[in-house]
Amino acid sequence: MASRLSRFIRPIASTLNHKYGGASSRTLGCIQRFASFGVEGETPKKPTVASHNPLVRQRLRDFGAYIAECMPKYVQQVNVPYHDELEVCIHPDGIIPVLSFLKDHTNAQFLSLSDIAGVDKPMLENRFEIAYILLSLQFNSRIIVKTYTDELTPIDSACSVFQAANWYEREVWDMYGVFFANHPDLRRILTDYGFEGHPFRKDFPLSGYVEVRYDDEVKRVVVEPIELTQEFRKFEANTPWETFPQFRQIEGDVQKPMNPPEEKK
Amino acid sequence: MAGIQKMTTGLTGLAVARHPHQTLKVLYNRILGQLEKMPSDAAYRKHTSEIIKDRLQAVQTESNVAALEKRINCGQIEEVIKQAERELSLSRKMLEWKPWEPLVAEAPQNQWKWPIA
Repeated sequence: MASRLSRFIRPIASTLNHKYGGASSRTLGCIQRFASFGVEGETPKKPTVASHNPLVRQRLRDFGAYIAECMPKYVQQVNVPYHDELEVCIHPDGIIPVLSFLKDHTNAQFLSLSDIAGVDKPMLENRFEIAYILLSLQFNSRIIVKTYTDELTPIDSACSVFQAANWYEREVWDMYGVFFANHPDLRRILTDYGFEGHPFRKDFPLSGYVEVRYDDEVKRVVVEPIELTQEFRKFEANTPWETFPQFRQIEGDVQKPMNPPEEKK
Repeated sequence: MAGIQKMTTGLTGLAVARHPHQTLKVLYNRILGQLEKMPSDAAYRKHTSEIIKDRLQAVQTESNVAALEKRINCGQIEEVIKQAERELSLSRKMLEWKPWEPLVAEAPQNQWKWPIA
């Protein structure tokens, strides 16, 4: 299972070396990456619909198993959902170890942190899900590391591993109110001065809590509690459509099932 | 080493290595020394020592830098040195974290279930 990522590339690279003898190592890298990720066989019939490459999928599964084998203390689940991308679900204690492993290990080299995303699932015990999206330039590969927390439990800041995490974590703090321990400068980043609340939480009202207007008497902008002049309406909460028709249970995606197979994204 | 092979790596902030073989041998031996301290059944130790021994073997047998780069096939030799430095610092941290131990805690019920409904 070792060096699956690189082992896969090498045979292709050696044939290419043979073919394009004079090419420099940089251009060769490009060719080998295109070669390894190109869609095989016939061209897809629908150019606007993403096609799946079973080869890429299998390689992602293997690499996920490799991570789970190397970090059994923290990895709870590894799956390749509907799209061809690898998701590693970890315990919140393992944020720094797992991210450092993915960044520094020779077979991973995810040196670039693309984004940190938050998800609010208010019905769960740990309502916030934090997703770290990493990019490996060496292997032209992306990975999503997911973890969870609630409103009060702080999670470790990834700033010591990735400099880029600084502003992303500020954004998550601002939007969701997830507290990051050991963050060098955890402040609001997107909302206005004096803003209260965390607007991406599901229980944050659509209209907000305050409204802003220019007051001619005091000659300045004033902030007041919101007044909505709207008659009472009964909103139908349930959507009439199936919410995720694309995302049904796909067999064999969960590699470390904790409980019987469930629906996966 | 028969003189400098190239003028530049073409990468900002990455200088051409003067003695890549020597540097790599020192780094790889240090990594292997760190890995020795881990339990022998740790997957990280197994896989990493496999990679590092493979590369050390390449460094010891191949004296030409260009040929060595081609054989390792993971970028220029300066990038390979960077990778070795990162692996070394990781292996030191790994000894503190001990990620080969059993799972700290299971995920709460339905945490990774999606769609939830």
